[in-house]
This record gives sequence, C-alpha cells and structure tokens, in this order.
Amino acid sequence: MARTTSGSRRLLKWVGNGLLVVLLVWTLLPFYWMIATSLKADREIYGFEATLYPHRPTLAAYGRLFGTTPFMKYVRNSTIIAVGNTLLSLVFGCLGAYALARLRFPGRALIARGLVVTYLVPPALLFIPLFAVLSTLHLIDTHQGLILTYLSFSVPFSTWLLMGYFRSVPLELEEAALVDGCSRLGSLVRVILPMSLPALAVVTFFSFTQSWNEFLYANVFVNSVEVRTITTGLSLFIVEDVFFWGPMMGASFLSTLPPLVMYLIFQRWVVKGLTLGAVKG
Amino acid sequence: MLSTRTDNPRVAISAGPRSAYGEDVLVQAPVVGRWRRSAAARHESYLAWSLLTPTLLVILFLVAYPFFSAIYLSLQDKMVGAPGRFVGLDNYLSLLRDEVFLRTAWNSVVYTAVAVGLKFVLGLTMALILDQPRRFNNVFRTLLFVPWAVPVVIVALNWRWIFDDLSGFLNNFLITFHITSDIISWLADPRLAMACVIAVVVWSGTPFYSMTFLAGLQAIPKELYEAAEIDGASALQQFFFVTIPRLKTIFLTTVMLSTIWTATNLQFVLILTRGGPASRTEIFPHLAYTTALGARRLGMGAAISLVFFPLLVVLIVILTRRMLRPADE
Repeated sequence: MARTTSGSRRLLKWVGNGLLVVLLVWTLLPFYWMIATSLKADREIYGFEATLYPHRPTLAAYGRLFGTTPFMKYVRNSTIIAVGNTLLSLVFGCLGAYALARLRFPGRALIARGLVVTYLVPPALLFIPLFAVLSTLHLIDTHQGLILTYLSFSVPFSTWLLMGYFRSVPLELEEAALVDGCSRLGSLVRVILPMSLPALAVVTFFSFTQSWNEFLYANVFVNSVEVRTITTGLSLFIVEDVFFWGPMMGASFLSTLPPLVMYLIFQRWVVKGLTLGAVKG
Repeated sequence: MLSTRTDNPRVAISAGPRSAYGEDVLVQAPVVGRWRRSAAARHESYLAWSLLTPTLLVILFLVAYPFFSAIYLSLQDKMVGAPGRFVGLDNYLSLLRDEVFLRTAWNSVVYTAVAVGLKFVLGLTMALILDQPRRFNNVFRTLLFVPWAVPVVIVALNWRWIFDDLSGFLNNFLITFHITSDIISWLADPRLAMACVIAVVVWSGTPFYSMTFLAGLQAIPKELYEAAEIDGASALQQFFFVTIPRLKTIFLTTVMLSTIWTATNLQFVLILTRGGPASRTEIFPHLAYTTALGARRLGMGAAISLVFFPLLVVLIVILTRRMLRPADE
C-alpha cells in the first residue's frame, strides 16, 4: 500500500513537471514572439523570408517607433492619467474606507453594499451614457475626463479593499491615540495608514495598472492625439494598412513594462489582495 | 422647581431625553451620558458623511446616474448628435427579430461558458502544479502569472500578430516544420475564429484563477492531508475529498467574478476579429459598441448592452453578499 502511494506520488510529480513545461511554453511564447519581432528588420518580419527568430537583431523598429510615431506622447498621457487616478483613488479610498470601517452612522451597511455593486457593474454598460455625461461637462478629449471616469472603477475597489484592511487594525491602538488628543483624521494618518502599507501598495498597484491598461473609455472618450493613451494609440497602428508590426511589437513590449515591473515589486501583497477575491481577470 | 422634579421619579424618567437640556442635568448622570453620546454620534455621522462625499459623488455621478440613463436611453431612438424620441420597448422588440442579434446571443453564451470553463480547468491545473514541492517554484509562479499583468489590448494585438496569415508565428512555425503546407487563416476562417478568440481570452485570464486557487490551496492545513493519508486515501481521493470541498467558496467567487468580466469584455473581439467573419465572433458588448459608435445609434446600443444585464444582476447580488461577508465578521 505504502509503496503504491509513493509510486503514484512520484508519477504525479513527473506529470506535474511535464505539464509545467507545457504551461510555461504556452505562457511565454507570445512574449518571445513580441520581443523577437521587435528586434527584426522588416525583411525578416514579412513574406517568404520571415524567420522564427531574428537572424540579424536590430533596434531599427525602436528607432522608427520613437522617430516617426507619437508613441512618447501616448506614454506621457497614460502616465499622467494613471498617476492622477492613483493619487485620487488613494485619497478618496482612505477617507471613505475609514468612515466605513471605524465610524458609526446610519446607512453604513447600505453604502458598503453600494460600493461592491458599483465595482461589479461592467464598463461595457456605462460607456454609452458616460459619453453623454462627459460631453455635457466638456470633458471629452481631456486628461481630466479619463481620470474622472476611471475613478468609477478604482474608487469603489480601493475603498472596499481598504475598508477590510482598516477593520483588521486593532481598535485599541486607535483608542490610545484618540485618548491622547489625536483627532479622527490624525489617528487615520498616524495610526491606521502606517499599519496598512500592504493594502496601500495593492491599491496603488491596481489603480495604476487598471488606468494604464484601460481601453474602452480611452477609446470612446478621446479622439485627439494630444490626449490619446498607449492602449488606444497602439490599436490605431493596425488600422492603417501599413506594415508596422516591428515598431508595434516594440511599443507593446515597452508599454507592458510599467505594469509588469509593478507586478514584480508588489507581487506578494497583490496575491494577498487577490485572495480577498477582487481583481479583474 | 428643581426639587419637585427630582423628587418625583416618574417625571424625571418620562422627561428623560428632553431634560438633557434642562437644569437637572447635573443631577441625572445617566442622561448626561446619553446627551454626550448622541451629540458625539451626530458628530461622528457628519464626519463619516463628509469623508464619504468624494466616494459617493463618484458612485452617484459616474455609475448610478449613467446606469439609469442607459435604461432611459434604451427606450429612445436616440442617434449621436440628435435628440431622441421615446419609443418604449421598440428597441428591445426589434432586437428579438434581428438575426445578427440572435446569433450574438448564442455566441456570447458559448464564448463566456467555454472561456470560463477552460480558464477554470487550466487555472486549477496550474495552481495544483505550483503547489507541488519543487525547486525554483516561486520563479515558475512569477512567470506563469505574468500574462495577468499585461494590458488586454496588448495581449490581443500580440496574438493577432501570432495568428497573422502570411507572417504570423503559427503559420510560420507550421510551415517551417512541414506540419502543414497551406496557410491557415486563423481569424478569418468561420470554423476557427471563435476558438482562436477564446484561446486568447484563456491565455490572458488563466493566471487570475491560478492565483486565487493557489492561495486557497496553500491555506488548507497540511494535517488534513496527513490524516487522509493515514486513513489510506489515494492522491485522487485526497483531491476530491479534501482539496475540492475546501476550495468550493473560492471556486464560486472566482468563477462569478470572471464570468462578469469575461462576458462584458469587448477588447479581445474588437482587436482580433471585429466580430467577423460573418458575425461568427460577435458578442454583446462588441455589438453594443459598434451599434452605438459605428452606426451612431445610441439608444439601440444601450438596449443591447442592457439585454445581458439581468443575468449579471444575479451574479452581482450573490457576489456582493460574499465580498462583504469577511469584512462584516
């Protein structure tokens, strides 16, 4: 009996290793093709001479990307919008979450519920009327317009996540601060926030990457090159019937870096935030 | 006056809250307490509402108002830049007679069900593999989760290039190694297009499942497996009688969240196929998008995006309860 169990364990282990290799290939292959394409000259990218790996690696595609396209403008816009949205989400999230976690007032449960519902209402449902809202406010084609609309998903999520975290900070710590004459806001800043750094990291990560990766609103609410973000800018590269895959894959690679680097840094906390059950996928 | 009232206990009691502002405050200690508490409660309430103001404004103006105005829009024949006329349920009724719409409904169900199913199976497999003891497991985990951090638009563009007829990786690879001699039009072939779109959705969405499942697996106490081992349970039995029941809650939450996001994501279809060939990959959110912005029929677009909402409501209601539960304890 014992032998068969250990035998099946060993078998499972090898099946596991085999599947791991398959999954790694499946996961990493698109990255390989993206980077390989960005390092090829056009001759190797298209037609009969197309190659599976760059025979003569060149950075020409990146040269074209920076030289002939508004890519840097897109990067600037995406950065402005993602950073603006992240800052606002952090501030709004902390204030709201503190109220929901620590203050007693009528309507608290209702608002907590409203937050989650809000977070779950998909953007695909809202983009048509939001377009009308932004038009009336003259916010079409502005950074502010996108920062504002992105708040619709980042604020509910941030508030909800921080609320859960704030509740886990021991009440005694805060009471001590209040007795010492700290105001409510003072205790939020001096006691609760320093103890909630992991949650703040998760909120920063999600607000930033969700804004950086967002496509639908950016596509519908912005037309001008001056405000266009990376995601919409890139997808416009293919509309023109020009062969442009080299610079485009270069741009894809570069624009994946910010969320990727953030993911690598925040990994530990992000997975913890995920177990709370709440991330787009 | 003071003495008469305090001498009569009935008066003092019945005058309880009101006497808080009266002269006998100093005598009736408990009432003082109550007075302080209610003022403090009011202060706390004001503070709470003012702290929540930005959040509430966001909810009201960016979600609640647009949501109800979507419903209102769907009852009009509004075009972009022109005032709408109230048409009642006409938009919805004409959808039911529309062949493209009916095909879209079927596509959306298949697309969502198959994508969610595959993500689930692949995600669970990935999580189980990463839960096995192995050297460098954290490196493998990081690598396998990377697609999750990649913007969906870039995922879609990247795969579109992989599927490219003449120069994409797939055809290139298949022809170089003599697996096929003909070029396969992955995204233009009516039989293949949907499968290709789903493959991309699965590639992009699987890590979310593996992450939550892996966290769940690692939270299962090892003693449970030891006990099962002693009782002579095989690896398979341990999986079905220890692992699966323990993960049930996580399974449900993950699948429901992912169903909402999968069913309403239009980026994959928009970039890979634009709904083609011959509406074979057309799904609700993309049809709403093209109707509202391509054909400029805002009312009809809103109606299309609302048709699938009742189904989502069920998921949203259940999920809301679940997501608030740990916080309420």
